[in-house]
Amino acid sequence: MRNKWISGISAVCLILALPFFNWIKVVNLVALFSKIGVTKDMAKDLLTGYNLYNLLSFVQYANQGVLGLFAMVLLILTAAAIYFNVAFIIRSLFGINKGKGELSLLAAAKCAFLFEFLTAAATIAFVIFSNAKFKMTGFLPGVVVYIELAISVAAYIYIKILEKKERDKYREHGLWVELKRNWVLFVMLIPTFVYFMINNYLPMLGVYFAFTSFNFRDGLWSSPFTGFKNFEFLIKADLFRLTKNTVLYNVVFIGIGNILQIFFAILVSRVTVKWFKKTSQTLMFMPYFVSFVILKVIVYNVFEYQYGLINNLITQMGGERIDFYNNPSYWPFLITFFYLWKNIGYGMVVYLATIMGIDNEIYEAARVDGANELQQIWYITLPHIKPTFIILLLYALGSIMKGQFELFYQLIGNNGVLFNATDIFDTYVYRITMTQPLSIGLGTAAGLYQSLFGFLIIVLVNYIVKKRNPEYALF
Amino acid sequence: MARDLDYEPSAPKTIKKSTGTKVFEAIAYTLLVLGSIVCVLPFIIIVSGSFTDNATILTQGYSLLPRDFTLSAYQTIFKSPKDILQAYKMTLYYTVVGTGLGLMMITLTGYVISRKEFKYRNTVSFLIYFTSIFGGGMIPWYLMYANVLGLKGSTLAIWFPALMSPFLVILMRTFIVGAVPDAITESAKIDGAGHFTIFFRIVLPVLKPGLATVGLFLALGYWNDWYRSSMFSTNSSTWQLQFYLYDLLNATTAMKQMASNVSMKTADLPTESVKLAMAVVATGPVLLFYPFVQRFFVSGITVGAVKG
Amino acid sequence: MKKKVLSALLSMAMVAGVITGCGGAGTQSAADQLEAEGVEEIPVAETQEETTEAEAPAEEAKELDLSQQVDLVFYVMGDAPQDEELVEAALNEKLLEKCNATVDMQFSTWTDFQQKYANEITAQSADLIYIANWLNYGQLASSGAFEELDEMLDTVAPDLKALVGDANLNMCKVGGKIYAVPNTWAEYVCNGVKYREDLRAKYDLPVPDSLENLEAYLLGIKENDPSQGLLTVTTEESQGLKTGFDAAWALNFKYNWVANNGLDYGLAANYDTPADVYDYWYSDDFVDDMKLMKKWADEGFWSKSALSDTNNSDAYKNGLCVAEVAGQNPNKQITAIADFENAGQGWESGYVAYGETNGVIYPGHATQNGTAIVRGCKDPERALLVLQAMLCDEEINSIVQYGIKGTHYDVADGIYKNLQEEAGETATFPYEGFNTWNLRNGDTKLPQKTDVKLQEMFDKYAALGEKTKFPNVNIYDGFSENYDSYSAERSAVSNVMRQYLAPLEAGLVDDVDAAVEEFRDKMKEAGIDKCREEYTKQWIAYCEEYDYK
Repeated sequence: MRNKWISGISAVCLILALPFFNWIKVVNLVALFSKIGVTKDMAKDLLTGYNLYNLLSFVQYANQGVLGLFAMVLLILTAAAIYFNVAFIIRSLFGINKGKGELSLLAAAKCAFLFEFLTAAATIAFVIFSNAKFKMTGFLPGVVVYIELAISVAAYIYIKILEKKERDKYREHGLWVELKRNWVLFVMLIPTFVYFMINNYLPMLGVYFAFTSFNFRDGLWSSPFTGFKNFEFLIKADLFRLTKNTVLYNVVFIGIGNILQIFFAILVSRVTVKWFKKTSQTLMFMPYFVSFVILKVIVYNVFEYQYGLINNLITQMGGERIDFYNNPSYWPFLITFFYLWKNIGYGMVVYLATIMGIDNEIYEAARVDGANELQQIWYITLPHIKPTFIILLLYALGSIMKGQFELFYQLIGNNGVLFNATDIFDTYVYRITMTQPLSIGLGTAAGLYQSLFGFLIIVLVNYIVKKRNPEYALF
Repeated sequence: MARDLDYEPSAPKTIKKSTGTKVFEAIAYTLLVLGSIVCVLPFIIIVSGSFTDNATILTQGYSLLPRDFTLSAYQTIFKSPKDILQAYKMTLYYTVVGTGLGLMMITLTGYVISRKEFKYRNTVSFLIYFTSIFGGGMIPWYLMYANVLGLKGSTLAIWFPALMSPFLVILMRTFIVGAVPDAITESAKIDGAGHFTIFFRIVLPVLKPGLATVGLFLALGYWNDWYRSSMFSTNSSTWQLQFYLYDLLNATTAMKQMASNVSMKTADLPTESVKLAMAVVATGPVLLFYPFVQRFFVSGITVGAVKG
Repeated sequence: MKKKVLSALLSMAMVAGVITGCGGAGTQSAADQLEAEGVEEIPVAETQEETTEAEAPAEEAKELDLSQQVDLVFYVMGDAPQDEELVEAALNEKLLEKCNATVDMQFSTWTDFQQKYANEITAQSADLIYIANWLNYGQLASSGAFEELDEMLDTVAPDLKALVGDANLNMCKVGGKIYAVPNTWAEYVCNGVKYREDLRAKYDLPVPDSLENLEAYLLGIKENDPSQGLLTVTTEESQGLKTGFDAAWALNFKYNWVANNGLDYGLAANYDTPADVYDYWYSDDFVDDMKLMKKWADEGFWSKSALSDTNNSDAYKNGLCVAEVAGQNPNKQITAIADFENAGQGWESGYVAYGETNGVIYPGHATQNGTAIVRGCKDPERALLVLQAMLCDEEINSIVQYGIKGTHYDVADGIYKNLQEEAGETATFPYEGFNTWNLRNGDTKLPQKTDVKLQEMFDKYAALGEKTKFPNVNIYDGFSENYDSYSAERSAVSNVMRQYLAPLEAGLVDDVDAAVEEFRDKMKEAGIDKCREEYTKQWIAYCEEYDYK
């Protein structure tokens, strides 16, 4: 019963966040517009009040890139708030509840209200920030913002109290207790946290560039906000073909690659002559050191029409020359071959290490029971490799829209004749950005598309895997 | 305290080989020999090409044995031995520092997110994995190091950015989960061992293949990298070896291109053979070092008394 | 149960609200609000305080306050010379004396230099920077990457302004403002055909100075020596929006607007009537030319795999081909002569500039080698003063360009001579060791030994250039396109060029007519018309501005 009430409150919060209400009012129009250089013409596209969703249109039409990043953050917070609220309401209404008692439900509620609160607080911060930027009172938060703020704070505190009771009942603990109990683990994570913050999370703000048209005059964070203009070229491109090519190549690479890596890893591990084992493993590792620049030259010399090695052999045996470089149908196979050639030895190491981690006594026991080589592999080695295989597979799925740029770029280069079969997303984007050298937004937009594509796939697949066997899930 | 863990060399071959085993081995050896040949052929071409005269390569193509034997490509590369030694030294420094620190951080992180009792392990895993999918692009990354942290020109900017990678962290987690059964750590905990004790006494010793693999990947990453020197070095004394070589080549090709626009003197390098010699110079040391790491993942370990 | 239904209804209502996205209560258009308030015009505010400040002290040729020492960063292309520190020290000694400033040269290295150049400007860590049209000077300037120099040149650096001259500075204008100071050495980078003079003489073939003669020359060699490679052409020099395959550069003999001299998007305009833009790709000429290319390809002038071949840099030098038609210039000819001398096989290199045949020849544009001050520079005025010293002051200029006299170089008979190279050592500071081609002072530049031959060629071209309609003026390279409004179409067009134009120009198609049709259709689909329309507008405006009519 109580849950229904809480979800009711959550629903109210949700409704307040919908575009029925003005969260930000624009006041002192004349003074503000004259200050930020908005003409009467531009004013046609502007409103006197904005909700959380159309705020970016103000940024765009009033040409105020300075506010862009902040407005974007606000929009993301809103989206998160909506997501968590809806998730919570659905869970509470349909009684989806896992774990102990109502703890997980309460955690969901906490999340929902936390983000409502953050959205409201950020809105107020946005108003203060932009007023300070323009040195005048041009924006005011709507009444809704205060209501939202009050409700979410109250609800959050209320849930905290409920949660405490519930926790006492089930002897579960929260962040503080976890911190106290496992502080060592947290300490172990500090360097990692610092690293990923500096190297990845802070620079991630740059995703915003996908929505701006960068110029040096306004600088990185104040360049005009242009909405989805940078994505236009993706639509202009043969997006379907590019996506298909990229995904297909990657599926083949990942699939065949892993299978061959496992295959050769098992072969190497089964070999009993020590020097042979070591030598073959080393030799197979060597292609990894051949850079694509060199590979390109060798490949060209092998497949060239007039004096290439293969065509020389063919003519010597009285055959017809093959025009590799003007015939796209050969290249998917050639590219796949060179990918595998270069990566098998490298990827094999992971599986070798996994196999070597298997306790030898298990094999001994099997041998005593009379299991032959194939049976040992089938019943012992493969099951032990499975978790690694699945994790590597899952990991690779997230980058399924990102291609092996160097491989394709070096082997194919600018040969437009082969593009239909060999153009992947990365090579296409590279060529485009070469024609527009100063456009930061273009590359970022392309990257964002790749990321979102990969992200959706991995979240979906990970969810399915987790349902079936949580051990194998990536996160 | 945990029971002692013993290591034994690979299992004694006491059981007589059956026919099936013999057939299996014959196939295995054949396939491996074939695979090795395919893999090593281009490398032979590279080595012999690096000893061949540049003009010969251009006019007659590549071959398995050097023709018109010459050392000129190596002479070009070692034109200023002081510089290349400095580049070797710096790369060694970056590789050692980066691999050491990185391996430590990755292993610790892998340990933490493999602990079942750690409530936020999935959240942390997700946050780490997330960075492999989403990124802000090169420019904010560059500005972060060059402007915000002001590291342009420092050696820190060259080794720090590659300390960890989401792939290696996840890989390490998999190795730890596979190598250390929960039962062992549980019993150690009951014996009163803390996380650091468990980590150093129980996890690290059985993790050798995993450590070797991740360490190898990290080290190779450092050894082969040129990009961060290109971005952050302001002085050639901090260059990585690969950048030193790569830039030698780039300078020639770029200047030849540039010469379409500007009257300038272009350096004259035997580009083809230098390209190949570069590969040899950069790869050689790795191949010498490789067997030392290799033994960790080509010879098995027996986790003596421990049963999963 | 009731409650469930209720909340279900509620959520449905919410979803409906989102979908219809009705404007919030009490929201109205800002324009209506203004209307209601009776506002006629929004006053244009004196917004940026900075500009008002800058306008105030507009005195003529004021004395700069030199009391504070300023340390500047000068970003240039390429690799640092070994003696960077030594020469910098000598340079700074002089600069401290004259301008109370120091300069730290920073080098891009040749790896990824385009990217790093853009980074450097984005990060605003340099003060002075090398600029060039091949580094997108026009676009960078119009996007606000550099400081405006118009006023400062008058107030801070009148000597510099006098040295460079208004005509040259004018060419560096973007949107009516000067953003860069060019060097003052006129050089000709006119494209042409490099060919093997010894073989031509041996087989008694015509000099390749027209399409017919080039064909005859190549055919003649093929006949006499079937195993000899003829042309090494790839897509290397044809990455822009003008041509798709290097062999097409030879069409310069027929038209004076191919490749470097032309317009983008298959548009054409004669040098004499630049504002009169006409179409090429959809004309009959284009079909004929493509048929010629196919004929050449079928004759085996270049490899059938040429589209993927990028390994051409040393082909001519090693005798693998007998002519080069793309990306050549007098300087490359000089290099080839030297290379052949070294090879000692009796090879000779000849050079025909396309301009000698089509009658249009001009020196490099002013924006080919210049210096700009990066926006966000610590002290723009001092930077300009330093630039003036580096260009105009002969002593400082010679340190920057040649190093230390007596240690690195010496002058004999007015000719530069590198002391270390003479002694057979590696030069620790070679000629123009800082790669500062932007600091070449035409009046004081020391010629190298090879420059004598180069100068002869230049003189020949200068005489030809005098006879053109715009005597010795490069009218093309000052134009920079603003493609903001059609960048998506532009990208698509460039992609179609790689995919359909390059094989056409490489003669790799079976049926030229059909392939041309396909190419044209794909171009239409990609939005060529929009690009052409906008481009033509901008080009004509540019011609108006500079009076190229």
